[in-house]
Amino acid sequence: MVALIVGLKWQLLRNGLRRSTPQLVGLVIGGLYGLSVLAVSVSGLIGLRIAVPSDVARSVVVIGGSALTLGWVVFPVIAYGIDETLDPARFATFAVPRRQLVLGLLVSSLVSVPAAVTTILGLATVVTWSRSLLAILVAPVAAAIAVLTCIALSRVTSTAFSAASRHRRGREAVSVLVLLLAVGFGVVGSSIIKRLSTPGLLHHLADVLGWTPLGLAWSAPADIAEGAIGSGLLRLALAVIVLAAALLAWDSLLRNALENPRGTTSDRSATRGTGLGWFGRTPATPAGAVAARSITSWRRDPRYISAVAMMFLLPLGLLLAPLSGGSRLWSLAMAPTAGFLLGWSMHNDIAYDGTAFWAHVATGVSGRADRLGRLAPTAMAASVLLPGYACLGCALTGRWSLWPALFGIGLGFLLTGFGVASVMSALKPYPVPGPGENPFGAPPGSSALTVAVQAVAGTAVFVLNLPLIVIGFGALIGHVWMGWLCLGLALVLGSAALGLGTWWGARIYERRAPELLADLSRIR
Amino acid sequence: MLTSDMTFRDTSAALSLRGLSKAFGSTLAVDRLDLDVPRGSFFGFVGPNGAGKTTTLSMATGLLRPDAGTAHVMGHDVWSDTVRAKQLVGILPDGLRLFDRLTGFQLICYSGLLRGMDRSLVVERAHELLEALGLEEEGGTLVVDYSAGMTKKISLAGALIHAPRLLVLDEPFEAVDPISTSTIRQILAGYAESGGTVILSSHVMDLVQRVCDRVAIVAGGQIRAVGTLNEVRSGMTLEERFVELVGGRADVGEGLAWLRSSSD
Repeated sequence: MVALIVGLKWQLLRNGLRRSTPQLVGLVIGGLYGLSVLAVSVSGLIGLRIAVPSDVARSVVVIGGSALTLGWVVFPVIAYGIDETLDPARFATFAVPRRQLVLGLLVSSLVSVPAAVTTILGLATVVTWSRSLLAILVAPVAAAIAVLTCIALSRVTSTAFSAASRHRRGREAVSVLVLLLAVGFGVVGSSIIKRLSTPGLLHHLADVLGWTPLGLAWSAPADIAEGAIGSGLLRLALAVIVLAAALLAWDSLLRNALENPRGTTSDRSATRGTGLGWFGRTPATPAGAVAARSITSWRRDPRYISAVAMMFLLPLGLLLAPLSGGSRLWSLAMAPTAGFLLGWSMHNDIAYDGTAFWAHVATGVSGRADRLGRLAPTAMAASVLLPGYACLGCALTGRWSLWPALFGIGLGFLLTGFGVASVMSALKPYPVPGPGENPFGAPPGSSALTVAVQAVAGTAVFVLNLPLIVIGFGALIGHVWMGWLCLGLALVLGSAALGLGTWWGARIYERRAPELLADLSRIR
Repeated sequence: MLTSDMTFRDTSAALSLRGLSKAFGSTLAVDRLDLDVPRGSFFGFVGPNGAGKTTTLSMATGLLRPDAGTAHVMGHDVWSDTVRAKQLVGILPDGLRLFDRLTGFQLICYSGLLRGMDRSLVVERAHELLEALGLEEEGGTLVVDYSAGMTKKISLAGALIHAPRLLVLDEPFEAVDPISTSTIRQILAGYAESGGTVILSSHVMDLVQRVCDRVAIVAGGQIRAVGTLNEVRSGMTLEERFVELVGGRADVGEGLAWLRSSSD
C-alpha cells in the first residue's frame, strides 16, 4: 500500500511535467535557478566547516534551518490549491487502513522537489559538523529528524488548512490573515534585518531559535561538535518529541478528514439581513446598480479585500524610510502613490466579475453605466485616503503649504487612472484568481499578458500626469502658488481624462460586450 | 430552396434563427441552423452533450456573437436592434457564474435595476418572486452559500423580473429537486398560458415530453427534427425517437456480465 501511494505521487509528478512546451521551458529555467541556489547553499555549508569558527557556523545553520522549517509550515497556506494531488480527503472512498495511509502519505511527501532540496541541505550539514567523531555520527540522525519534521509540520498545516477551507468563511478569513501577516512581516522584518548587522544579535537569535521546535534538530549537532554533549543529546531528544507530536497531530487531523471528507458545507447561519443594502442607497439607475454591486463585492469578496489592504498599506510603506531615520520627504509621496494605485488598479476590474458579467450583457446595460458604476468603490476609498495621506505628509514634514500640490497630484493620478482604466478594462481583461480561490495565486500562463496590460496602463497614467508632477515639484522648492495651480490643473485635466476615458471606454464596451464575455469565459 | 429558406423569416415568431453558425477553432459547434419558435409555445430544445444547444441559445440571446446568420426576437434583430431585443428576453444561462456575493434578494433586484426599472417596482416584484419560488427564508443569504437548486431558482427569478415576452432557459432543471422542479414547472406553465414563450434546453427527455408542446432535436450543430411533440415523436416515446435520430446505443447488450449480482 505504501509503495502504491508513493508510486501514485511519482506518477503525478511525472504527469505534471507532461504539459505544454512553454510550461516545460519555464520549469527547466526554474529548475536551473533552483539548482544554482542549491549548489551555492551546499558549498556554503561545506565552507562553514573549513573557513569559519563553529559559533558562526552554528548561527548560520540554526537560523537558516529554522527559516527553512518555517517555510515548510507556512507554504501550504500561501500556496493552497497548488498541490492537493494527495489530499487525504480524496482517499476517503477507498478503504485504506489509516496507519498505512499515514505512512504512505509521509513517504510520498519525500517524493517532491522541495523535499529533495531539503534532504540535500540536511546532508550537507553533516559536512559542516564533521568536527568530531561523535558529531559525524549524530549529524545524519539530526538531519533526518529535521527533514522529517519539516514534512510532518507541513502536512499538519495543509491538512488543518484544507479542513478549515471547507467552510468558505474559514478559507477567506485565513487568506486575509495571511496577507496581513505577510505585509506585517515585511514591515517588521525589514527593520529587524537592518539592526541585525551587529553579529551579537545574530548569535542571540540563533540561541533562541535553537530551543524552539523549529531549530532543535538543526542545533543539536552544533552542540555536539562544540563538545556540549549533554545539551546536544537533550536537543536531539526534544527534536524527536517534536517530530512525534507533529505526526500524532497529523494523524488525528487525518482521521477527521477521512471520516468527514466533505465537512459540513452549508453556512445557513450566514443570513445577512434581508434589505437592499447598498442597492437602496445608490441612485436607482443602471449606473447606481452597478455601483452598489461593486461596493457590495468589495466588502464581501476576499480578492477585493486583499486589494484594498494593499492600496491602504503600500503608501504607508513610504513611512518606513522616515521611521528608520531616512528622509521625511518620502512621506510626501503618500497621497500621489495612493491616487495612482487607486485609479490604476481599476484597469482589470471586469476580470474579477468572471462569467457573472453575462448579467450585464444580457440586460444590455449601457457602456456608460457599466464604466461609471465600477469606479464607485475606489472613488469612495479615495475620498478618505487622498486628503488623509496628504495631511499626514504635510504633518510629518511640517509643510502645510504643500497640501494643495499633494492632494492635487493624488487627485490627478486618481482621475486619469479612472479614465485609462475605463478604456483598458473594456479592451483586454487578463486572468485573475476566480471567486473563492487563493487571492495571491496567479493563474498559470498569464504573466506576459498581465505584465503588458499593467505596464501600458501604468505608463499611460504616469505620462498624463507629468505636467502635474513638474508643477508639484515647483511647489516643493517653495512656490506656494504652484501648489494651487497644481490642484486646479488636476481638476481640469482629471475631469477631462475621466470624461474622455469613460466615453471612449463605453463605446468600446458596447461594441465588444459579447467578446468580453467570451474572453472572460476563456480565461476562467 | 435553401436561399428562399434563408430569406424568409417568420415575423410572428417569438424567436427566429436563420443560418446561425459558430466555430470554435476547427470544431463547428453550430452549423447553419434555422429555427422558428412560435409565440405562446412551450418549446423543448433537446440534444446530446456537445450538440450545440448552449452555443445556439447564447447566440440567440446576444451573449455570443455568431460567425454567420441572424437571430430575431419578436421581429427585432438581436445583433443590431440589441437594446429592444434584450428588453423582451429573460435568460437563464448554464455554466456561467453569478454575482454570488450578493444576497438572493439583491441579485434579483440587480437584474431589474440594470434594466433601468423603477426601484419600488423591483422590490415589490422581487418579494413576490421569492415567495412564488419558495425562497422567502433564503432571500437574505449570500448566493455563494446556496445549493445548486436554489441557485437555479434565483437565476430564474432574475430572468423573470422585467416580465419578458420570451424566456430562454438553458438546463433549468439540472440539479433541481422534484419539489422545486414542480414549482418551476407551474410558474412556467402559467407564464406560457398567458401568452409568454418558453424555450428550454434539457437532456431529460421524460421531462421535456411532459412539459413541452413543441420540440426540436439538435445534434452536431444542426436541427434533426422539429415540430409539435407528437409530430416529432411519430408514435414513439421522445427518448426512443431521440436515440433513433442521434444514433446512440440504447441497449448495452450482454457486456459487463461480471457486474450482475446474479452472476455470483
